[in-house]
Amino acid sequence: MNTPKEGITRVDGRLKVTGSIRYAAEYPFPGLVYGAVVSSTIAKGTITGIDSKATESAPGVVAVISHLNAPKIPGYEGGEHEIKTFNDSKIYFNGQPIALVIADTFERAKFAASLVKVQYSKEQHQTNIDAGLQNTFKPWGDGSDYLRGEANAYQNAPVKIEAEYRTPIHVHNAMEPFAMTAKWDGDKVTVYTKSQYIKGMQREIMGMFKLPEEHVTVNSKVIGGAFGSGSPLWPYAKAALIGAKMIGKPLKVVIDRGQMFTMVGYRSPAIQKLGMGATADGKLTGITHIATGETATYQQFAEGITSTTNILYDCPNVNTQYRLTRLDMSVPTYTRGPGETTVVFALESAVDELANALNMNPLEFRKKNYSEKDPEQSLPWSSKYLKECYEIGATHFGWDKRNQKPGLVMKDGWLVGYGVSNGVYGAGRAPCTAKARLSADGILLIQSSTSDMGPGTATVMVKIASDIINIPVENIKFELGNSSLPAAPGEYGSMTTSSVGSAVYEVCTALNEKFNQLDGKSGAGDPDYARILKEHNLPFVEVTHKSGGTPNADKYSSHAYCVHFVEVNVHPTLGTVKVTRVVAALDGGKILNPITARSQVIGGAVWGISMALMEGGVLDHRYGKYVNNNLADYHFASNADVPQIEVLFVDKPDPVTNAMGSKGIGEVTIVGFAAAVANAVFNATGKRVRDLPITPDKLV
Amino acid sequence: MKQFQYTKATSPQGVLEAISKPGTKIIAGGTNLVDHMKHGLIAPDKLVDINHLPLKGITPTKSGLHIGTLALNSVVSENALVLQKQPLLSMALKAGASPQLRNMATVGGNIMQRTRCTYFYDTIMPCNKREPGTGCGAMEGYNRMHAIFGASGQCIAVHPSDMCVALAALDAQVIITGKKGEKRMPFTDFHRLPDDHPELDNHLAKDEMILGVEIPDNNFAKNSYYLKVRDRQSYAFALVSVAVGLDLSGGTIRSARLAMGGVAHKPWRLFEAEKFLAGKTATEDNFKQAAQLAMQGAKAYEYNAFKLKLAPAAITEALKHASGIV
Amino acid sequence: MENNNNLPEPDTRPDVKDPSRRDFLKKSALITAVALTPAHAVKAAEKHMDERIAEAFEKMPLSLEINGAPHNLMVEPRSTLLDILREQLDLTGTKKGCDLGQCGACTVHVDGHRVISCLTLGIMVNGKKVTTIEGLAKGDQLHPMQEAFLKHDGFQCGYCTPGQIMSAVACIREGHANSEHEIREYMSGNICRCGAYPNIVNAIQEVKEGGLPV
Repeated sequence: MNTPKEGITRVDGRLKVTGSIRYAAEYPFPGLVYGAVVSSTIAKGTITGIDSKATESAPGVVAVISHLNAPKIPGYEGGEHEIKTFNDSKIYFNGQPIALVIADTFERAKFAASLVKVQYSKEQHQTNIDAGLQNTFKPWGDGSDYLRGEANAYQNAPVKIEAEYRTPIHVHNAMEPFAMTAKWDGDKVTVYTKSQYIKGMQREIMGMFKLPEEHVTVNSKVIGGAFGSGSPLWPYAKAALIGAKMIGKPLKVVIDRGQMFTMVGYRSPAIQKLGMGATADGKLTGITHIATGETATYQQFAEGITSTTNILYDCPNVNTQYRLTRLDMSVPTYTRGPGETTVVFALESAVDELANALNMNPLEFRKKNYSEKDPEQSLPWSSKYLKECYEIGATHFGWDKRNQKPGLVMKDGWLVGYGVSNGVYGAGRAPCTAKARLSADGILLIQSSTSDMGPGTATVMVKIASDIINIPVENIKFELGNSSLPAAPGEYGSMTTSSVGSAVYEVCTALNEKFNQLDGKSGAGDPDYARILKEHNLPFVEVTHKSGGTPNADKYSSHAYCVHFVEVNVHPTLGTVKVTRVVAALDGGKILNPITARSQVIGGAVWGISMALMEGGVLDHRYGKYVNNNLADYHFASNADVPQIEVLFVDKPDPVTNAMGSKGIGEVTIVGFAAAVANAVFNATGKRVRDLPITPDKLV
Repeated sequence: MKQFQYTKATSPQGVLEAISKPGTKIIAGGTNLVDHMKHGLIAPDKLVDINHLPLKGITPTKSGLHIGTLALNSVVSENALVLQKQPLLSMALKAGASPQLRNMATVGGNIMQRTRCTYFYDTIMPCNKREPGTGCGAMEGYNRMHAIFGASGQCIAVHPSDMCVALAALDAQVIITGKKGEKRMPFTDFHRLPDDHPELDNHLAKDEMILGVEIPDNNFAKNSYYLKVRDRQSYAFALVSVAVGLDLSGGTIRSARLAMGGVAHKPWRLFEAEKFLAGKTATEDNFKQAAQLAMQGAKAYEYNAFKLKLAPAAITEALKHASGIV
Repeated sequence: MENNNNLPEPDTRPDVKDPSRRDFLKKSALITAVALTPAHAVKAAEKHMDERIAEAFEKMPLSLEINGAPHNLMVEPRSTLLDILREQLDLTGTKKGCDLGQCGACTVHVDGHRVISCLTLGIMVNGKKVTTIEGLAKGDQLHPMQEAFLKHDGFQCGYCTPGQIMSAVACIREGHANSEHEIREYMSGNICRCGAYPNIVNAIQEVKEGGLPV
């Protein structure tokens, strides 16, 4: 190891703090034209006419594209269910892209787009999940239900609780608006966009236009946040591809903030009913969990918001049920901690309610019901240091000072409460290819087509490589963000460090072996790179290597854990809530680069604060339309809402998941946080809020 | 945004001349106007930039403090005279928007800013304020942020300003110039209730402009407080806000000034509560009674019923802070 | 992109009817367009008149100093400072997050004060000095605030970062960085979705305490 213990600062940090790194909308091609997307203003029906006369004659307008004049897209044939942009006149949701206005400047495109007049034949729509509760379906067939032991056993328990929890729509709202710059050269296309899954997006474009791989290049060098929204080829991006092809010029399409609410996915709202029972001394006897989420009429998205209930606690009787209802909404998608974030809010609130019903310290209750093995699959954990998280977190936080009886602690005119919750997230990994080349100039270049939406992918890869290749860390370069690089999986599911990291680890090890072989030795010990290259008169040595998926997936169950301890202040008469202290204790296996890992944990906690106290997409169901589709009305945390966040790592390697011993941490750091806040609010006030977000109106 | 002509004004007379023509709008900080133009709420043919007029000054007068219409919100909030004589105004300004926006927004622009009602902003929704006769989308829609006082069957929007709540409480005067010369209007009379004309926010005629405000000297400096309750701790509009100025002698309230934001189409002055408090001792009990008096006539809608509880709590809390009994 | 033309400065006399346009158009030898107003210009385009007429008519000269360098541009009055920086000058360090003054990603300094460039019409900063993130470092030497953001990992995705840094510098210059609490409040006009706030506060505190000139 030739790096500091706390890790290395971001390898692309200098580019970011100087503003010189280029995001998707920042590639200035000569002749570039601008596209503005026109959205539908009804939630369901058919377009009967588009009057674009005024638009077409507005200054600078190059083209107006809609289903009326778009070419036939070869990939639209067949059974895909997603929105086929400009294919037909059908409206599936309010805010659907229905036309693209292209002009020579941004201002002109935007204004001209506002002149487009659309006539519709409206149909009755439904956007309210409550109305859809009577009309649900099983998203995964029989796999949507789970039973071990006896169903509804909680009902016979000596101590039990029953409650309904509600979580609203969460919109990712990455700071960078989605953008695609598309440039066709004959039947070859190059795009600059935000993509969490570069090879996947390349395949989607190949499929859309029936193009061979070498004709489609996807660039996504840096991503201004995505949080799960950045994987699919969204309808607006299809519009950009079609538009650029039709006009034969490089075209840039950036959607606006309002369009970020309807065009690039969101977290499904959920209604969850939980029943939970225990013996008088606090041993869980039964959990019943029934959850309903929503999806679109035209496409199914399911995230599985009951799965965590099956595994988090040792409980003999568990039955869960997951349902979806179809609404006239755009399709939801992965959102930070997809599934787990929603389920664990309900589950960990319910655990707190039951512990309080038992008059038991909720941390003791959790320890008492600790699952020593995966109760769903009957597999041992690859590693589980949740107890250690409890210990170090409780000590640092001062959990022993918590008052079991709520509503008693007052400080400076504010009620004070403590809350805790568990977070858990699967620690999987996917196959990945990386190429490593060490050149005579002493530079090691490693390449893989992964992305970086913010966690610092290149930074941790350089760190991993630096632990194997003994050269100065500043001589190690990691290149990502282009589909022509060796294939990497998507940057989601907390898998990147594990997947791409394994490829980097293994390719670097293989590189060392290759150098040693040249030198007549075996093994991967430190070779003298410069001498070997010189002696063999080689400009470089290069290895490409593909690493595998989760090892021994049938023998172990692998998860990362996070325990959040939260202190809140609640104003007794105004109902305002401040999160005043946070301790996050994390089992993420071996922490490979503490500086950036810590930031991810902080980021998860900040998302948790937002989810607990402010976030929620609101629709006026009469119009099927958002009423808070902007950043002044859709709140998430400002700087003033966030205290210092203490991050503690157990930092013990997982022996199974990968050679580095790491478990992904991006997702787990938000999971459960909102419950810790709700539990702390209960501890402060005696009021249980089961309907997020916990805004002043719910406590006043 | 529609294309428009841009000119710079060099005298108030020139501005009056320009705005007498239809389709012409004054621009100062632009934080509200440019936002409206981007949303397509208005599409002026011509903007008159008044930033170069000498109307930025903050100067003491014989019996008060004069603040020019172009004084920036940030400058006013930090001005030594304001801090010394009218700290309530400073507190209210600092509770509004963000430091960057306060560096752009002017006093006159803040007074003229329009509601943040989502139905007003969304051009596909009905809104009598934006387009008279189309109906009020908020009345039976998502009205969590909306009025509990003085609303009409036409409009239940609220005025979004923090600064104006303080100015209403402080008995400020708005100094206006028009073709007929200069005039003064009590701040509390400047903004309107929606009645049958929600498209009109205030009583400024189309061919008039604001030159500044004047705040009469008072004895509230020591016992002032601006309380803003909002959904996040900064950079958010008020659910309810309260401006309090108390003239205290020992434990007795000689006189009180109270106004609320986030509850009405205009800054909502609490005259009944003020009358009640005059001569009373500063106790939590008296504050609560004053708050109850202030709530007379309040009416809630589907999503803002919480304001009926939050508003009196906020009044009481603000009075406690102002009087120093917290 | 720059256009060093010899057009007159916009006439600021309020009482004269559109003199700048008139002079400009005369000099452009487009005499027939004299009587046009922008609304007419749109109509002209509708009638398929030469689009260059409309284009010339709609633009105004703008002179400003950006990061120490003078720029003479032709801009539409409706163009915001943000779009001029990003689209005309390729100064893409200043970011567009919401385009409505609700996030702070577009924060720049105008005559030393932090403002929201998405709500600032370019034409209104005529003659002023603009500093963007690109103008903060001195050559290879980063500004102390940039160094501190790097060291404290005051960002993840980096998109709000230029706005945060411009705001952070202003926060210290304004005298609003005297406590953690004050920094948080005075940095709340810059929204960060990755949630780097605590690190941002730490970076600002370090620069403030370090006493280096900002």
